Amino acid sequence: MSITSFPFLCLFAVSLVLYYAVPKRAQWVFLLLLSAGFFAASDEVSGGGWYLFLYPLAAVAAVYIAAILIDRTAEQKKKRAALVCAVVFCVGLLCTLKFFRLGLLAPMGISFYTLTLLGYLFDVYYEIGPVQKNYARLVLFGCYFPTMVSGPILKYGEMEKQLYQGQRLDYKRITFGMQRMLMGFFKKLVISERMALVANEVFNHYDSYRGLSVWVGAVAFTFQLYTDFDGCMDIVLGLSECFGIRLPENFNAPFLSRSISEYWRRWHISLGNWLKDYLFYPLLRTRFFMELPKKLKGRLGKKMAKRVTTFAAMFILWFAIGYWHGGTWNFIIGSGLLHWFYIVSGELLEPQFAKWRAFFGIRAKARGFVFFQRLRTFALVTLGLVFFRSATVPDAVRMIARGFSGLGLELFAPGVLSGLGMDWIECVIVLVSLLFSSWVTIRGQKEDVRERLAQRPLLVRWAVLYALLFYVILLGKYGPDFSASEFIYQNFKV
Amino acid sequence: MTKKEAAKAAVFLAGFIFILITVTYIVRTNGDVKDRFTGFYAEKKDTIDVILAGSSPVYPYYSAPKLYGERGIAAYPLSTNNQRPKAIKYLLREALKTQDPSLFVIELRMFTMPDEEWEDTMVFTRGVTDNLKYSLNRVDAINALVSDKSQRYTYYFDIFKYHSNWKTMFLPSQLACWRYEKADPLKGLQIKEGVGPADWTDYSGLTQEKEPTAEQAEVLSDLLAYIGETGKDALFIVSPYAMEEDARLQFNWLIRRIEEAGYPVLDFNLHLEEIGLDFSTDFYDYGSHVNVLGEAKCTAFLETYLTEHYSLPDRRGQEGYESWDEAWELYQTRQAEAEERCLRDIEEENWAPEVID
Repeated sequence: MSITSFPFLCLFAVSLVLYYAVPKRAQWVFLLLLSAGFFAASDEVSGGGWYLFLYPLAAVAAVYIAAILIDRTAEQKKKRAALVCAVVFCVGLLCTLKFFRLGLLAPMGISFYTLTLLGYLFDVYYEIGPVQKNYARLVLFGCYFPTMVSGPILKYGEMEKQLYQGQRLDYKRITFGMQRMLMGFFKKLVISERMALVANEVFNHYDSYRGLSVWVGAVAFTFQLYTDFDGCMDIVLGLSECFGIRLPENFNAPFLSRSISEYWRRWHISLGNWLKDYLFYPLLRTRFFMELPKKLKGRLGKKMAKRVTTFAAMFILWFAIGYWHGGTWNFIIGSGLLHWFYIVSGELLEPQFAKWRAFFGIRAKARGFVFFQRLRTFALVTLGLVFFRSATVPDAVRMIARGFSGLGLELFAPGVLSGLGMDWIECVIVLVSLLFSSWVTIRGQKEDVRERLAQRPLLVRWAVLYALLFYVILLGKYGPDFSASEFIYQNFKV
Repeated sequence: MTKKEAAKAAVFLAGFIFILITVTYIVRTNGDVKDRFTGFYAEKKDTIDVILAGSSPVYPYYSAPKLYGERGIAAYPLSTNNQRPKAIKYLLREALKTQDPSLFVIELRMFTMPDEEWEDTMVFTRGVTDNLKYSLNRVDAINALVSDKSQRYTYYFDIFKYHSNWKTMFLPSQLACWRYEKADPLKGLQIKEGVGPADWTDYSGLTQEKEPTAEQAEVLSDLLAYIGETGKDALFIVSPYAMEEDARLQFNWLIRRIEEAGYPVLDFNLHLEEIGLDFSTDFYDYGSHVNVLGEAKCTAFLETYLTEHYSLPDRRGQEGYESWDEAWELYQTRQAEAEERCLRDIEEENWAPEVID
């Protein structure tokens, strides 16, 4: 069941009424039933169906038992054995269903709930998080239905109270949640689906395009992916907010980033945090990486040996990020190793960049320079996304090469864009919508736009909301004549 | 949540529903069917005496302005392309909300065609459901006409279908539909030009019967029962066309079944000489539907029949029928022009392109 579908919105409306009608202490049970129902009501293609719900139940059972064992035993060996067994079981299930392509149907959200549950187990193992001794409650934590579509990945410590304590009906929270959902629909249905028309054309027929046309297609995909994923997160977070449960943010204006490192602190934040906490730092604490600087010290010097060790661990981290996005080389490069290369080369060349800045008298905080850095980051990300979106690495390389072979105005020849359903009015709609979305994002860095709107007179507030509602209803790409693409991240590994 | 907040939410929701309905009415696809239905809703309360229902053998065949201008009969066609017989009951029910007709005239051609042939083609169902105002009757019609429950919501809320028409919403003719009430100057008539000669085989001598599909037979029973409940008179008609033998046999069954239920059937195909219909000149699409020449003859025959068999009031000159006088005047002008063009086509043997209706 797609969260942008009308049946889902009806289910949401009814659920919301029932949720606040049941006693507070029973609300978590209602959410659990709702999550199971969401699973059962979704079709098999999107990973739903009641029997597919058995997979997450099994994963939760493994993690639940392991966490109890870890908590009860004092022996480190037994703790480790319980941890390893549960991790092997969960990761094995994930790999079997998602990576090994054995023709088995994978349940929806498998990557998200696996990471969520493993994060909880690691916290228990490292004694930085509490143990949940109620299996059903842990099922709710692992399979809370809004997060089953595209995350975010949850941390138990942040969710425990919210999920189980019960919520009282709060008008402001519900209206704010719905406003955020509306913004999500705006990004997904108005912007992303239009960007997809251009991106699909260029990527699917890149042999027909050169120069500017190729880069317009690449930029269109960058915006398509961002508005799709960020829009999905707005819907998911807004929906959860209506239930009184605040989920962690997954985006924080990533295209305002001045460097690739910053970009990854702003893009898919919950994944980045998870990998840092449970892969990168533990990796650096392994014997191999602890001893590596000592081995390299003689040849590289102490400082460089430490940096090379970090770069090596980062290589594994970025490989993992890329692999998890799709398991093929275009993903491994496009959202993994290329970004590792950007970061490492950026760090190594920073002294040189500093010299150049000094030579040209450029202040690091000068507006023009900040703008240049943001543009540069955007361009580098877009380049990576060419690999990410292409069918294969050679396709991506050929497409990039075509991007440097001439002016390439093919996309703007008479009839081409309009043939894709992107006549000049549609282009204006995309530009206006992007500007509005950007304004909200930039404004959101300083203050909560919803709070600001709430301070306006009632008529102004309602006029704005009605305008946005009907902007989405009329200009959104959906309905029986339109086959809306699924959320892109729904199909990725993470 | 306080009472004040709950009230605010309710008012906001009511505003949303009002705007949604208004916007939907505006962006529903424009064309002759929308004009016909908005025209019907624009008619003054209790001014229509005859409601015609049925498929394409209605709106180009029978001229409401001519019925009024020549006999004072106020009739209105609630007709759509390939109108599924299942829809008729709901259209009559819709008509009774604002009108108090004394006679229903129901065309039978679609009863000879299996319903499943049309259900898959969404546009024929939407022709009916998406031209009704929002109401419980509309919901009932959708439930009856759309068997795929997972798709019904796109019919209940047809903005799902028509939102992509947003570019038309600033056209004055579309904006005028904001209440789904906009007078139709020709009272639902569509004047068809062009000539497509047809061969005609006389099957009037066939007396055997063939039962239509079980579903259509059931729909007919249901319709007859409904008409009985309303207490209104009903006349079933079979409009003239180049029918095939199989259809003739089915009409024979339908006619017997209807007459057994106590309602008359007027089969135009058995009165072709009286009507004066000429298959070589009076059809625009090679025997399926009449053109303006055929329409004048069919309407004349119908109005004579209605006058002879029913006591319908003569509305001419009555207060509240001014728009009907205008429609009659407009019809005479348009009809004369169209007839002239048809006669020229016949003289020049300039036949119409094949039409797939």
